[in-house]
Amino acid sequence: MKFDPSRNCPFNSHLTPFGDVVLSSRARLARNLEGFPFVNRSTDSDCKEVTSLVHRICDDPNSPTSLEWVDVDELDNITNGLFVERHLTSAHLAHANHPRAIAIGPELARSVMVNEEDHIRIQSLRPGLQIKDVLDDVLELDESIERIVAYAFDEVLGYLTACPTNVGTGARFSVMLHLPGLRLIKDLQRVRHACEAMGIAIRGYRGEGSEVVADLYQVSNQVTLGYTEEQLSKILAEDFLPPVIEWERKARMTIVDTNPRLLDDQTYRSLGLLQNARILQLEEAMQCLGNIRLGICMDRVKSIEINTINQLLIEIHPAHLRWRFGENINDEELPQYRSQLIREKLTA
Amino acid sequence: MTTCDLCEQPAIYHDVRIVNGVHSTVHLCHEHAIEAGINLGPVDVSVVLEIPQFVEEMSSTNECPDCGMTIAQYKKSALLGCPTCYEAFREQLAHIIAKVQSNHSQHVGRAPSQISPQADRHLKVRRLLKQLESAVIQEKYEHAASLRDQLRELHDAGEENEI
Repeated sequence: MKFDPSRNCPFNSHLTPFGDVVLSSRARLARNLEGFPFVNRSTDSDCKEVTSLVHRICDDPNSPTSLEWVDVDELDNITNGLFVERHLTSAHLAHANHPRAIAIGPELARSVMVNEEDHIRIQSLRPGLQIKDVLDDVLELDESIERIVAYAFDEVLGYLTACPTNVGTGARFSVMLHLPGLRLIKDLQRVRHACEAMGIAIRGYRGEGSEVVADLYQVSNQVTLGYTEEQLSKILAEDFLPPVIEWERKARMTIVDTNPRLLDDQTYRSLGLLQNARILQLEEAMQCLGNIRLGICMDRVKSIEINTINQLLIEIHPAHLRWRFGENINDEELPQYRSQLIREKLTA
Repeated sequence: MTTCDLCEQPAIYHDVRIVNGVHSTVHLCHEHAIEAGINLGPVDVSVVLEIPQFVEEMSSTNECPDCGMTIAQYKKSALLGCPTCYEAFREQLAHIIAKVQSNHSQHVGRAPSQISPQADRHLKVRRLLKQLESAVIQEKYEHAASLRDQLRELHDAGEENEI
């Protein structure tokens, strides 16, 4: 597959609603096929049978989108890495050994992972706060897939999944939030309390168990049973996010009003570092990009587009650097190519 | 003082279990406890009361009829083996699901629409093949022949539909 990762970046939030705080929205549905063991107990032969059954969605004339079928074992390492860094697929799927596949939509927002933890994981990822749209995307694909396979379903428990944390709707909605203001005024605890009260999980950039990088947080619904898919999406989009976005915006204004020097120092220190460094580790570069992003949102930096920063947050990852500068770059050389790309983009 | 079940030495390890109303105890001295591979911990006296856990362990030996998974294996991997596991371990899973799903127990979201004839046929073929395999293993040849005929019918019907 010829994949161009510079197209339709999922963090292109500059023109989307609440794009100053919300980088991206994602919906995911977990599904399994009746009559088959779950993936963790499947033989290679079972996995192959599942992939060949699901493959038919690519030939379905009634499908809402044309999907391109990708056999993961036939992917080169760089493309496999690009898919993970673009959040089109999971690291688990990329590095597993059993037969597995991905079906990808032409706009690079929708994808169907086959033989991940569940037989089918349907997902859609769009920039900014677009939870209703990503829900519609995955439901459309779901309807298309259920016409060609029989899902494992129980009247009481709903869609049956390998892990009971996904049972019921199998639906997980998540958004990537940028919360530097709340970190600066030391009020992140307020978000954590809201998460606890509303059954929302809060994690770092790379999901479960990951560290917080660049003040980026992934928040998602914890419960998947007992609510409809629409109700779950609304808990996140209409109950949880509006106050959190408001708190973050107010926090940013508070810093401008009470301590603009701190904001300017953080912004220009980061900008100076990125414009001059010749070796940049990923975490350091991401934190600086996050700081500059805040400076742009608060009109402290006017010469750099916010989307340049949004895109760099993804483009400075290893597979993206190798795609741009050459597949033979070794791990030790990555920091220097990372600094080169950032300098080029920030001075363009 | 209670003595060891295996010798006359004083017992320092006491294991009391009640399973299905039947009470059983094991008393071991220091030497026999170590021999039995029991970790006595920092203090050389250990009392084990495993009433509910042991009941669970007993039931954990039950296998899912479809995939052979046990509840103990599930607890290790946190992943179930197949859709039938939800039925096979319904009781044990009820409290796990209640815990991870904030006490919700009833699905209220979408449900699959009517299964397509093609998917339905595929599912029936898989079920029949599984039953056929089991019938042959159990040497129930008459039943196996009937299953084979049903498979042929499904196969023919499928070919007709494809035409």
